[in-house]
Amino acid sequence: MKKKLMASLLAAVMSVSLLAGCGDSGKNTQPANNTPNNTAQADNAGSDAGSDAGNNEGEKITIRLFSNLPDRKNGQGLVEQMIIDEYMAANPNVVIEVEALDEEAYKTKFKAYAMNGMPDVVSIWGQPSFLDEVLDAGVLAELNEADYADYGFIAGSLEGFKKDGKLYGLPRNTDIQLIYYNQKMFADNGWSVPTTYDELMALCAEIKDAGIIPMAMDGGDGWPMACYLTNILVKVAGTDYANIVRNAIETGDFTAPELVQATQILVDSAQAGMFQTGYDSQDYGTTMNLFTNGQAAMYCMGSWDCSMALNEDIAPEIRDNIRAFTMPVVDGGKAGANDIAAWNGGGYAVSASSEVKEEAIKFLNYMYQPDKLSKYGWENGVGMSAQDQTAYLTGNETELQKQVMDILKNATSVSGTPINDCGSAAFKTAIESKIQGVSNGSTTIEDFLAAMGAACE
Amino acid sequence: MRKLYSNKPVIFSLVLPGLLVFLFAVLAPICLSVYYGFTDYSGMGKAQLVGWDNYVKLFHDEAFGRALENSLLLAIGFICIQHPLAIIVAAVLDKLQGKAEGIFRCIYFIPNVISVAVIAYLWKFIYNPDFGLLNNLLKAFGFQGQVNWLSQQNAIWSVLIVLIWHGFGWGMLIYYTGIKNIDPVLYEAASIDGANWWTTFFRITLPLMKPVIQINVTMAIISALKQMETVYLLTNGGPNNSTQFAANYLYQQAFKAFKYGYGNAIGVVFIIICITVTVVLNSIFKDKQNA
Repeated sequence: MKKKLMASLLAAVMSVSLLAGCGDSGKNTQPANNTPNNTAQADNAGSDAGSDAGNNEGEKITIRLFSNLPDRKNGQGLVEQMIIDEYMAANPNVVIEVEALDEEAYKTKFKAYAMNGMPDVVSIWGQPSFLDEVLDAGVLAELNEADYADYGFIAGSLEGFKKDGKLYGLPRNTDIQLIYYNQKMFADNGWSVPTTYDELMALCAEIKDAGIIPMAMDGGDGWPMACYLTNILVKVAGTDYANIVRNAIETGDFTAPELVQATQILVDSAQAGMFQTGYDSQDYGTTMNLFTNGQAAMYCMGSWDCSMALNEDIAPEIRDNIRAFTMPVVDGGKAGANDIAAWNGGGYAVSASSEVKEEAIKFLNYMYQPDKLSKYGWENGVGMSAQDQTAYLTGNETELQKQVMDILKNATSVSGTPINDCGSAAFKTAIESKIQGVSNGSTTIEDFLAAMGAACE
Repeated sequence: MRKLYSNKPVIFSLVLPGLLVFLFAVLAPICLSVYYGFTDYSGMGKAQLVGWDNYVKLFHDEAFGRALENSLLLAIGFICIQHPLAIIVAAVLDKLQGKAEGIFRCIYFIPNVISVAVIAYLWKFIYNPDFGLLNNLLKAFGFQGQVNWLSQQNAIWSVLIVLIWHGFGWGMLIYYTGIKNIDPVLYEAASIDGANWWTTFFRITLPLMKPVIQINVTMAIISALKQMETVYLLTNGGPNNSTQFAANYLYQQAFKAFKYGYGNAIGVVFIIICITVTVVLNSIFKDKQNA
């Protein structure tokens, strides 16, 4: 009898502890969902209490912002945070909670959120490699395009954020593909900015002979090299660039002569030693350091790195001498000097399932008021926005900023989305890996282009 | 108390938590993986059944083949380089005695204590052709030119060195513990009989270490198959998949390429390979034990 009692007691204890376990986990997940881990707000506790009490009054509103800008003290992240703080000061009943992760982690978690409850405002990329799957899943709210007529968006910049004529997001930046160079180093050695690709090749040979790395290239990540290929292809194909790429991706046939020629130029450049030794395994930071330490004469990257000119960590003799030029023309190519590789990539959208959708869209519109993202972005040297920025010139712009502004102002055509972002995410992954192989000579150009076609199925 | 353990409700209540954890944390995800492996699920939206498509594609996938080859290379590297070295070092450490024993044991184990992220970046810098330690050493010895340690051809060997170096301390520690468990009387008897160091090592240490070696070899092969984090941080499988490993490839496909279904198919094949390897290894060792 005693044993039986003990047995049932044990069983009871077990089941109680089991239930307790379940209960606990249930309780734990609740706040985890509501309170993002990287909250930029100090008054979190207040916001939680507020959203509970808010139901009666309809006063307190919590907007969750999921951002790909984890650095809240510099560059674009700072601009975003400034606007958030201003919005909350202007609307005391609104609390904006920020969760920020860097790009790769962001994209992974974005997917997890897409399966189960997206935050209210999210960072997105207006490119098929990211947006196609996201829009197919129907997780983003439709925006009313007419609302943005006065926002000064550059013509065509909204196109990447549309599907079937409906608008789902707004672009944040205009990204221009640039070749940065060290002006002082060029002057000291008597080098001049090349106007044709042949001149660029000759210049690189000369720089190499001087014992300096001609051009720092982040080949380890794949995408900067794909952008470089895009840049060459734009110079070869001119305004046909977008059609050639679209056609190749739709049919899976990458044998267009322009694609072959552009790839050939990339391969020839890499084989001639234009990039640093081991470029195909080096990451962003290492590559940028080669340039900012004065070990490399040039550096190929997008206009978002213009903030180098304001970066206190870079030695002044280099920082103040950073200038940029666009890809020189290719012999026999259809593009002129002012047909440039540029696109509108990153931006914001509102979740379709958001419980505070109206307020979220209101905040989105606030961010995009011309004197917010555009103005603050310009003042903080984070590059060109997707809106007209001419009204916000301060007169204190760096030489580099002025140069980039001129490049955009004088552009006769812009390419649109780079090749690696024109297809599906699978295509992007394939090209960013295979481009390492073709440039370092371990894959032939034919095999590379065939593999691109195969990745489009 | 014994009767208590034969009481069915008690048995049931004691086994239940473990069973539930296994069901929901292991079995259910595996079943879901098998299901998703037959779909074209992107990770968002709706999934469609596509039959064996993912598996057919997988068997023609060069990168996956390369990943398995690399796992095999790594396993061979572990067994033929890391473990013999680890046993010898463990045996030497055992003979050192005194303070030196503890100091060297700690030194050899240090790489294991350091976080994988630090290790990966440390070696990234060591291998850097422009300012890396290795090339600077070569330069100091008068070697002209730059060696590209992480090039398409060299990268896999450079990665293997890092992995073998990183796991060395762990293997050594287990062997060291194994050697410490050998009865010292045996060594005394051997030395009275006039056996030298090599003879005692081959005739006493090695044979008595068999069970430890079996465990270590099994763990080495499984860890070679599962390799992910160091490679992800060091090369991310590049250049051009030359240092690709199955787990890293799975991650790339499922989370970067939005091919969640395909990623799950890789996962399923991966599980089958791991289980097969474990079963084969166990049967090999069992045969030897019986013989």
